[in-house]
Amino acid sequence: MANHARADIETALRARKLDRTLTTALPREHRDEAALVAMDVPALDACLRGGLPRGQLSEIAGPSSSGRTTLAVQAIAASTRRGEIAALVDTFDRLDVASAAAAGVDLDRLLWIRGQSWGPASDFALRATSDRSAGPDGAINRALKALNLVLQARGFACVVLDLADAPPATLKRIPFTTWLRVQRVIEGSDTACLLVAPQPLARSAGGLTLLLAGRARWAGDADRNRHLAGADVTVRVVSPRRRVDGEVSVRATANDSR
Amino acid sequence: MFAAVYAAEGSSFETLLAVARDFSPRVDACGAREVIVDLDGLTRLFGDAKTIAGELRRTAADRGLRVRVAVAGTRTAARLLAHDRAGITIVEPGDEPAALECLRLELLEIFHEPHEPHEPHEPHEPHEPHEPHEPHEPHEPHEPHEPHEPHKPFEPIPTLRRWGLRTLGDLARLPRDEVAARLGQPGVAWQRLARGEDPGPLVPSVPDERFEQALDLEWPIDGLEPLSFVLARLLEPLSAHLERRDRGAAVLHVRLHLVKRDGVTREVHERSLQLPAPMRDARTLRTLALLDLESHPPAAAIDRVVVAVDPTPGRVVQFSLLARPLPSPEQLSTLMARLTALMGEDRCGAAVTVDSWQPGAFEMRRFSPGSGIRDPGSGGSEVRRIPDPGSRIPAVAIRRFRFPVAARVTVDRGTPIRVTSDRRGLNGGKVEAHAGPWRASGGWWIHDRVTSWERDEWDVTLSDGATYRVFRERDTDAWFIEGVVD
Repeated sequence: MANHARADIETALRARKLDRTLTTALPREHRDEAALVAMDVPALDACLRGGLPRGQLSEIAGPSSSGRTTLAVQAIAASTRRGEIAALVDTFDRLDVASAAAAGVDLDRLLWIRGQSWGPASDFALRATSDRSAGPDGAINRALKALNLVLQARGFACVVLDLADAPPATLKRIPFTTWLRVQRVIEGSDTACLLVAPQPLARSAGGLTLLLAGRARWAGDADRNRHLAGADVTVRVVSPRRRVDGEVSVRATANDSR
Repeated sequence: MFAAVYAAEGSSFETLLAVARDFSPRVDACGAREVIVDLDGLTRLFGDAKTIAGELRRTAADRGLRVRVAVAGTRTAARLLAHDRAGITIVEPGDEPAALECLRLELLEIFHEPHEPHEPHEPHEPHEPHEPHEPHEPHEPHEPHEPHEPHKPFEPIPTLRRWGLRTLGDLARLPRDEVAARLGQPGVAWQRLARGEDPGPLVPSVPDERFEQALDLEWPIDGLEPLSFVLARLLEPLSAHLERRDRGAAVLHVRLHLVKRDGVTREVHERSLQLPAPMRDARTLRTLALLDLESHPPAAAIDRVVVAVDPTPGRVVQFSLLARPLPSPEQLSTLMARLTALMGEDRCGAAVTVDSWQPGAFEMRRFSPGSGIRDPGSGGSEVRRIPDPGSRIPAVAIRRFRFPVAARVTVDRGTPIRVTSDRRGLNGGKVEAHAGPWRASGGWWIHDRVTSWERDEWDVTLSDGATYRVFRERDTDAWFIEGVVD
């Protein structure tokens, strides 16, 4: 009886072309290196089975200082190192150019789209105003439009949308259909879209979610010789289709000119 | 067959060229007073060669030019005959060697004269048409159509005269290998000219073209939406014209004639767009023009639209089978224009590190990634600096506040023990670990508080788990959060 009911449901779904993601078996995994954007971190690439999938929306999520920017910049650096071009939609203008250069990013091949950078005056003004378009909502709205333009232009290997500093309340106001539209735009393209946020937002079916937890690593046992040596980042990879799952530790070093 | 038309001294070159172009589009301007006309296909229009030559002479006379016309099977023979004989000279194809047989050897100097077809008043002294047999000192003749070193001394005519040669026929009859042995390849080229042979095919001179379209509107239009239709109508034929000539637009000029509300006052709103690469796609050009006009809209209604481009040779693109294709310049230009309209000027592009110790210093420039990566050993001109691929350990990145955030820092025995801030999302907390201070200063020689800095920097990990870079300004003793280690 249960089998009959299931067969009926599957038939109905198939008739409405809704069967691909719900009822059929997952597509056979064929590992194609060209369909992945490697991050050039051997342990992480092994865990990701090659890298971030092209044509999919992946995301990096974690709290502050968990290594989100480090991995995003690493993905950009790996792409530009291969001669491809990348784009960073920097919603709140937070990229440190020296850090990016130290991470190996070929800056000539990185399209940097700078969002709103807030000074002390605008911070106070934001608190006083109730106009959402002037605050983080407006900045995120423009960033999403910029992301859409970049993705539609095609040709970028890696496009990163940085929402790491967006307030949680603002992120909740982004309609979920936004991410479906983004996914639709990059479907079939060579672009790996990467979303950096404090929490998972897109939950794309074909993309990967990297949940990060990290802490700073200090060197030196006395105040006089102590310095920031780097960060230990734990990456938990979550794939909605269970294609890739696992956890890996990544050590990042501080490139400090001091 | 070819007709050489040689005008008297003081004649207008433009008029001469216009006369020649009235007969054929295949015209080669080979001197300041001389043009070659390709007569192929003109027989059915005008008649035989003699009739054509007569028509050429009559048309030139109608425009105030006195010309000699010589028709021959080769351009070389036609030019030599036009310089030697007044009036009309007709030589049937194949009879050129016989016709040139008795011409003076010095006539070969016409092939050495400067070729300045667009500067008709360039002073020079070719042979006088009315006194063709006046003796004169020869220049340093050399074959103009075949490349050789310009400063290499080669004076064949005195040499040939010392050999006892006086006419072109004398030179033409010499054994070619003997000429080559004594004078080299230039000597052979001179001998070919003496035989009336052409060194190459005719390359017609193309007139200077203006790539411009204009439209007068019956009623003034207001706003960019109706203007987009007008621009499309103007740019499509312009684009087709560029494509026919294998040209691309280097600069796009849009000139809008505006009419004020009183209907009398007129002004011109002009915009010029520097394009990053030669392009001629009408849709791309229209989009770029419209996006630029969105940022710089006209102040009144438009009653005349003029679109012009500065042409440049078309772009030759060779794609690679091994590298992923990059966006075309048209796509990139459109993308950058849209992004600039959305985010603002100087908010999109490629970052450049600058030679400064100032924290967070950088510059922006146009994003133009060029072609794919090159092998550094290939010797190509576009070799990029490739970062060391061996460093597979990620470098810690900093999220920098473009404007440092004011912070309240509690200090105990010279070290920060608590950091708080009023900025939303930066709650702060107790300092769990710290390193510092590192003293930095610079720009003090400028005496400008904006560009100078002197501070003590600290890296601190707070109780919320986040690691910050904070600094104390030494002159004001104020604390700021510079960025978050992430």
